[in-house]
Amino acid sequence: MSSADENQQRGEETAAARNEPRAPEHFAKFFECWLAEQERDLQVLRTAAASAGEELRLRPLVDRVLGHYEYYYCAKAASVRRDVLPMFNPTWTSSTENLFLWAGGWRPTMAFHLLYSKSGLQFEPRLLELIVGNPTRDLADMSPDQLERIDGLHRLTVRLEKEISEEEAQVQESVADARMVELTHALAESEEVEADAMEQEMKRKRDRMNEVLQRADQLRLETLKGLVEILNPVQAVHFLIAAAELHLKVHEFGKSKDAAGDATGRPE
Amino acid sequence: MADICEATKACSSEPGARETANEARRFRFVPVVKAVLPADDAGRKRRRLDSSASSSPVVLRSDPGDDCVENRPEHGDGTGEGVAGECPGYGVTSVCGRRREMEDAVSVRPYFVRGDHRYHFFGVYDGHGCSHVAESCRNRMHEVVAEEISTSRPGSNREWCAVMERSFARMDAAGRPGDPPPAPTCRCELQTPRCDHVGSTAVVAVVGPDRIVVANCGDSRAVLCHDGAPVHLSTDHKPDRPDELRRIEAAGGRVIYWDGARVLGVLAMSRAIGDNYLKPYVISKPEVTVTERKEGDECLLLASDGLWDVVSNEVACGIARTCLRNSTAAAGDNATEGNNCGGGSDKGCADAAILLTKLALARHSTDNVSVVVINLRTRL
Repeated sequence: MSSADENQQRGEETAAARNEPRAPEHFAKFFECWLAEQERDLQVLRTAAASAGEELRLRPLVDRVLGHYEYYYCAKAASVRRDVLPMFNPTWTSSTENLFLWAGGWRPTMAFHLLYSKSGLQFEPRLLELIVGNPTRDLADMSPDQLERIDGLHRLTVRLEKEISEEEAQVQESVADARMVELTHALAESEEVEADAMEQEMKRKRDRMNEVLQRADQLRLETLKGLVEILNPVQAVHFLIAAAELHLKVHEFGKSKDAAGDATGRPE
Repeated sequence: MADICEATKACSSEPGARETANEARRFRFVPVVKAVLPADDAGRKRRRLDSSASSSPVVLRSDPGDDCVENRPEHGDGTGEGVAGECPGYGVTSVCGRRREMEDAVSVRPYFVRGDHRYHFFGVYDGHGCSHVAESCRNRMHEVVAEEISTSRPGSNREWCAVMERSFARMDAAGRPGDPPPAPTCRCELQTPRCDHVGSTAVVAVVGPDRIVVANCGDSRAVLCHDGAPVHLSTDHKPDRPDELRRIEAAGGRVIYWDGARVLGVLAMSRAIGDNYLKPYVISKPEVTVTERKEGDECLLLASDGLWDVVSNEVACGIARTCLRNSTAAAGDNATEGNNCGGGSDKGCADAAILLTKLALARHSTDNVSVVVINLRTRL
């Protein structure tokens, strides 16, 4: 067993010993608080976008909002260390959101689509102004250099996303490896097997999924940070507004869908 | 760069054209039929200046049975000769856009013919199946064209056609069995000994002091902006283009409508470099246009279908023209500095390329978007 595994096991033991709330409830509560914070951030970002000028004041705001995303992933990592299982089967998000999950969260390349979509929406109405070279002070006037860097980051993100997907695939396939087939056959035949052989085998695979999730979350956060770094503060404000609106409104939609499903007794 | 500028000036007095006085015939390329124009029309400089012809490119073919256009300039040092040989300013944008794979490749090679500084090469390649055919076109096509130019020293338009056709054939043959496999970096899983299912469009422009030679294979496109109006210098090779459909069926192939017209229900274009498994229905022979440069030429646009699927020729031309004019106005008398230094990027062209790319993304282009804008204005 690697030292990482041992640490992991110790973490689980101490969490249990302290009698902390199980990860799902714990993280669900955190998630609710975080959503409220995102809602507050959104209002501040909107006000900032509406008030003209003062780019200097926007940078700290952008940094603060990014800090909130970073905090989210710190808390998530702590929860994952306690127990990875609920993180791949979140109860705090809606069924609609869960339909689009990639490696336990949002797909990092979605950030580029979000940027292109928002930029496109701001671009076309101002096309005439942009052609004559008037700045629009939003995502419509990304410079050639910015677009090139965004494209570079996009290609890198696609590559990393594929690597993580590949790793996830390998772990998923390992559920049917020879050891597992041997073990499950023995259990089915009621042969005597070592008491915790199955537990150990599954733990190894859980740990690997844990690593997949950590890498995926890291990529999510780095993609956000990388994009915001390329954008100027005004553009970053517009991007973060679009990201928050998309997240909050899809969550709201999904939750009300789930609630309606419950009300009509339809299993979700 | 200074060396190049010097070399260019030294060459600029050479006559750009060595046309032989071949008898000239021209035909009009309209979607269904080709109409041979009256013989006396042949002497006129450029049919694309006729308003009726603005959307009908002059298509040259060197097939023995085909009508071929000699679109001769009237004089060897005509408009455009003032800066003969100097590389026009250009701007390039090439992005992955909303696709997960980058299969477009762009090639800009000023002064690409060794020992002959009159010609500049621009190419856009849009790969399918994998990116390696497009990449090998980017890495090799200009060398092949340069070799063919050096060897055959084309003078007449017909000779230029032949140069481009031989170049495309050689590029296409490079992917055949027996040749080295593509670079191991590509994502294609069937790297050896060949990837029959991989191909690329190619739209190539050789810009000289007095004419523009465009060779096209596939659905990337070259459009010339002349006095604010678009002039096709290439015609997309779509399987449902009537003449292409006839050619495919005559070769024993079929065009099946499966998410659009596709050769054998597979490929949504009728010509491409590569795609060995679709031969002889999909061919690599380009259609070539030779266009005399004229006053009023503003810029040349080369782009992949990521742009053309969502932006019309007219809109693209309008945007490019405005960008070039603004950049000139903003820079005042120094506006041509970048252009005159040969092979340099040009502010107006860069602005146009980025704006067109952003417009394509804004209009939900789902493909890679590659745009090359070449400044053809020779005086301001």
